[in-house]
Amino acid sequence: MLSGAGYCAVCHTRAGGEPFAGGYGLATPFGTIYSTNITPDPATGIGNWSEAAFARAMHEGVARDGSHLFPAFPYDHFTKVSDDDVKAVYAYIMTRPPVSTSPPPNTIPFPLNIRIFQEGWKLLFFRSGRYQPDTTKTAEWNRGAYLAEGLSHCGGCHTPRNTLGAEKVHDAYAGDMVDGWVAPTLTDSNPSPVPWTQGELFSYLRSGASPLHGVSGGPMAPVIHTGLAAVPDADIQAQAVYFADIDQAAVRGSAVEAVVRSRLATSHLGSGQEYDPAARLYAGACIGCHYNAGPMPLTVRPELALNSALTLPTPANFIRVVLGGLSLQDGGPGLVMPAYASAFTDADVARLAAYLRRTRTDRPPWADVDKQVAAIREQLAGSR
Amino acid sequence: MNKMLPLSEVPRSSDPGIGYTSKSRRSFLISVVNSGIVLGFMRSGRSAPASSTGDQAEAGPADLFEPTIWYSIDKTGLVVVNITRAEMGQHVGTALARIVADELEADWADVRIIQVDSDPKWGLMVTGGSWSVWQSFHTLSQAGAAGRIALIEEGAKLLGVDPKACIARDSDVRAGHASIAYRDIVARGDLRRHYTPEQLAEMPIKPATERRLIGQQALAIDVPPKTNGEARYGLDAMVDGMIYGRPKIPPTRNDSSVVSVDDSMAKGVSGYVRSLVLDDPSGTAPGWVMVCADSFVGANRAADLVKVEWRSGEAATVSEQGFQDHAARLIANPQGGSLVVDDPGVDAAFAAAKSTLERTYTTNSVMHFQLEPINALAFEKDGVFEIHTGNQWQSLILPVLAKALGRDQNTIVLRSYLLGGGFGRRLNGDYAVPAALAAKVLGRPLKMVCTRPDDMRFDSPRSPSVQVVRMAFGEGGKVTAMDHHAAAGWPTAVMAPAFMSKGTNGAPYDQFAINGADHWYTVGAQRVRALSNDLANRCFRPGWLRSVGPGWTNWAVESFMDEAAHAAAVDPVTFRMRLLDGAGRNAGSAPNAVGGARRQAEVLRRVAVAAGWGNVLQESTGLGIATTFGQERDMPTWVACAARVHVDRSNGAVTVQKLNLVVDAGTVVHPDGALAQVEGAALWGLSMALHEGSEFVKGQPRDTNLDTYTPLRMGDVPEVEVEFVPSTEVPVGLGEPGTTVVGPAIGNAIFAATGARVRHLPIRPEAVFRAINART
Amino acid sequence: MTTLLLNGKTVSIKGPDDSPLLWTIRDEIGLKGTKYGCGIGMCGACTVHVNGRPARSCITTVRSVAGAAVTTIEGLDPAGQHSVQKAWIELQVPQCGYCQSGQIMQAAALLADYPDPTDQDINAVMAGNLCRCMAYIRIRNAIKLAATRMRKDTSQK
Repeated sequence: MLSGAGYCAVCHTRAGGEPFAGGYGLATPFGTIYSTNITPDPATGIGNWSEAAFARAMHEGVARDGSHLFPAFPYDHFTKVSDDDVKAVYAYIMTRPPVSTSPPPNTIPFPLNIRIFQEGWKLLFFRSGRYQPDTTKTAEWNRGAYLAEGLSHCGGCHTPRNTLGAEKVHDAYAGDMVDGWVAPTLTDSNPSPVPWTQGELFSYLRSGASPLHGVSGGPMAPVIHTGLAAVPDADIQAQAVYFADIDQAAVRGSAVEAVVRSRLATSHLGSGQEYDPAARLYAGACIGCHYNAGPMPLTVRPELALNSALTLPTPANFIRVVLGGLSLQDGGPGLVMPAYASAFTDADVARLAAYLRRTRTDRPPWADVDKQVAAIREQLAGSR
Repeated sequence: MNKMLPLSEVPRSSDPGIGYTSKSRRSFLISVVNSGIVLGFMRSGRSAPASSTGDQAEAGPADLFEPTIWYSIDKTGLVVVNITRAEMGQHVGTALARIVADELEADWADVRIIQVDSDPKWGLMVTGGSWSVWQSFHTLSQAGAAGRIALIEEGAKLLGVDPKACIARDSDVRAGHASIAYRDIVARGDLRRHYTPEQLAEMPIKPATERRLIGQQALAIDVPPKTNGEARYGLDAMVDGMIYGRPKIPPTRNDSSVVSVDDSMAKGVSGYVRSLVLDDPSGTAPGWVMVCADSFVGANRAADLVKVEWRSGEAATVSEQGFQDHAARLIANPQGGSLVVDDPGVDAAFAAAKSTLERTYTTNSVMHFQLEPINALAFEKDGVFEIHTGNQWQSLILPVLAKALGRDQNTIVLRSYLLGGGFGRRLNGDYAVPAALAAKVLGRPLKMVCTRPDDMRFDSPRSPSVQVVRMAFGEGGKVTAMDHHAAAGWPTAVMAPAFMSKGTNGAPYDQFAINGADHWYTVGAQRVRALSNDLANRCFRPGWLRSVGPGWTNWAVESFMDEAAHAAAVDPVTFRMRLLDGAGRNAGSAPNAVGGARRQAEVLRRVAVAAGWGNVLQESTGLGIATTFGQERDMPTWVACAARVHVDRSNGAVTVQKLNLVVDAGTVVHPDGALAQVEGAALWGLSMALHEGSEFVKGQPRDTNLDTYTPLRMGDVPEVEVEFVPSTEVPVGLGEPGTTVVGPAIGNAIFAATGARVRHLPIRPEAVFRAINART
Repeated sequence: MTTLLLNGKTVSIKGPDDSPLLWTIRDEIGLKGTKYGCGIGMCGACTVHVNGRPARSCITTVRSVAGAAVTTIEGLDPAGQHSVQKAWIELQVPQCGYCQSGQIMQAAALLADYPDPTDQDINAVMAGNLCRCMAYIRIRNAIKLAATRMRKDTSQK
């Protein structure tokens, strides 16, 4: 369960590989870092690691041989995890089947690849120490904060990093780019049309879909479907409480019904007598699944007028979902969206993006959409 | 049969067991036919597609009554009608079988149909021109009558009564209280009769008052299998050992040749077999490369990776405007072309006119986009080359296949499948040729499946057109002359030149590309000149597309009639009614055009009433009207349409609120099928008027799939109201005539709503917007 | 090897799992009722249900639906007597019929979401299903007829 909450396997498993055996490449601004084998294999994994060595890695970011770990391994978060929980994770990991394999070499350039440099990074940015509860908050809130700040290390993706790759503590949860996807801001400045309430957050983190925001995709999908899937409802609920507070949902929540009503009024656009070629493209390809009759959208019909992908500052997530689709393992429960990479031209995706941004949001147009489509398509083709 | 039952209460013809008491062999036949429709080659035990004597494995001659080639009756009473027309959504088998069954006095529940394969015995096999019912009505009625007479004779003998005392009803021969079922007559009697075509032609048919099936509601036989996945189309054809082919379509239709092929990348595709450069003696598919693999997915992926270099000619440089400019030049030259109508005194009337009106109308290329992409399965078996595909004109493509394959036409057979849309695309069976050529080279069955873009790039689109129409007005605004010049690509010239007509000046013309210009309005001295757009004919293959020429000639004629009415300050309906006076050659003649222009005036009158012509409408809303005689003067289907539209003046967007159509198609054999055809045709017209239309860009259609080609969808459909004029005249065509009135009715409605005139099809909002602003 | 629950039966797919589901259904499994029309998910002729939701099988890979319940027109109702199918016959909807498997699958899914659909609901949810014969008028009427029947059946249960 705790391993699930920290979704060790998400990073420590390459596509199609054995769980926890490493080899997953994490693209960073500094180069690609490949995750290590954390199965109990003595030669290539962590079979020889003592519990104390494991705890030191988790809490201090120092490997068994004394070298400093790259902060791609989020020890800046794991330092907050309680000793008991670290013990539990150790016990879990050490009972997984050992796999003998080693990751490819990292592509971090000199001099950043010299591990001693990581010591300086730590001096600058790392604060060791277990999570300290906020006594002004409820126990549930604190439980959520503990999980989110620690094992779940949400900020690892959702907090922007400085030029040296450290999370900007004053910009906690202000959003960032991860593997070419936008990890949206989780604070009250996030641009989703309606706030992330506890209910919406729970639905999303539990199932991968929330009726008023959309479904998971990209790197968030395995977080939900592989990682959090093992976490009990109470802990999901606790994190929902924590993030609803960060999002100021209670303060911003009063207008939800009116917003939903006005957004749903646009749901049918494109399906009437229509001449705009982009609208006809939308009607022919998309509206059959995305239309909602109201008064509330159906979770199985992700409502684009409420969807975060359309209100984000860049169209990256929208483009990626359109081109790559969402498999059963990505989005909401049982839901599949086909990949349109083989169906649509760059121009088709770009005008679809522009059309939806124009008709389904109150945000300014995205810039250079066609170029972004081409770039993302190239990247997806290369990664295949 | 019950009269006038609502459709929902009519027994389903495909319902096994209706009216049956005995089982035996019937159970086999039922299991074959209970999905409603049987494809010729799948059948067994019936007289055959391959020869007139047939495969008698299951039924000896005495077991089967087969008075003509058109149907048979077996000892269980099952009537099986042979359908030579392609089933592409018209429910043609149902209509034709009901013609037979009506004269035969057969119980409709006992009737089945078979879609036959190509065989010389069927004569001309073509499904187009809205001809099927019109051409078959008499033949099949007489065939049915022959069977009825024979059954009565033989039944009377078995009953021991005078045949004159007998009547036939519901598959029984009855004399007073005595009766004998057809099945028993077939089982016990001597029905070794066969009628020659000459004998059949003499056969009298029943008066309309005696009809029991024709004109009554019936569920179409082909519908149930189209709701459960059982219906089999060309795409579904399979044979053991076949592999798949997907073509590399050359950059131009007619003048490309392969320079080199590089398939090195394709070799990594699982199941890739090879790529063939096709050598086509028939010239149908020049420059084709067939990429073959053991699955469609493999062939598709491999084809994407095969690199072909072509050499192309002139066509690769020509775009839509080039065709239009060429057409305009042809018209500007008073020489050339074929004179279709050439009354004396046209020029004199224009010279003497008080006023004249001249307008130019243009239309863009239109794609067929039949939903089932073209495909064909081809292989040689037992000395016969079999082509499994959907086709509308077997007789046209067989000689082409013979030339391509270098073999006798009698050793090639086209197996019949349902068509996933025809609309004229499959009149041109060109797609069978590359499949056959590849199968011949491979020496094994080859199934060619075109992707949608392949299909579009190999389409034979409706040609772009340019028309100049002039009218002369004399004293009191009387119309004294009309002059119509139309230039377009000519499908018949390219594909079936022997079918062309000759003008009064001796020059041949494609009647299908000019029909409609020879209308039934009395306009004084009339001239119609048809010009072949030779550039179009060379650069692509112009196609027959639902209605063909009237798709553009009616756009010109009916838009122009509106303009002429306004120029003459006469109400557009009144203006037309005055010209539809039935005078002279417009009086009509028996059997096909009884009543002539007066019947056209009647549908016009009715549609004006139905649509509320003359009522005051809201701001920027207008009613437009148009009328046509359908396809050909010799087979007029009288149609009128009123369109009510609203125009958004801020952007030119047209909302079609309602279409009213009134149709006089003579006798209507299958009313619900007829209604479906008119509904579909009208919406095709709407789709072509507002949502379709494409253009050539450097020899290629610009739009190759639905991301940019935008046909009518559910939300585009306005309210549609259709009325048929009750009639017992000769049944005429229904598949096409409703198509061509909608465009001009909408154009005229836009004028009524805004005063802005559009003269180009398709009508785009930008054009409407420009026309509105040009006025103010 | 990928497995699917196809029309209620578990099937193992031997072909490549990056194949479009459409061609696996048609050519490997041999169910021909699902049709190929445009290949870009814009005509709806290839519509099947994946876990009860309509999906365009021409651009949906086998891999992306591994383990899912897939229903084709052949499996919508064991006897071909789904309310939508019955309404389709009663109102004589199909013309050429090529799009109709997809139309019926989409309509059945529409009625699952919206048992009493408005014209706007029909316009939107059926927008991706092209009918080239333009049987739209009857498709709309048949959806409403099926909806009425299904609501009646439900209320009687």
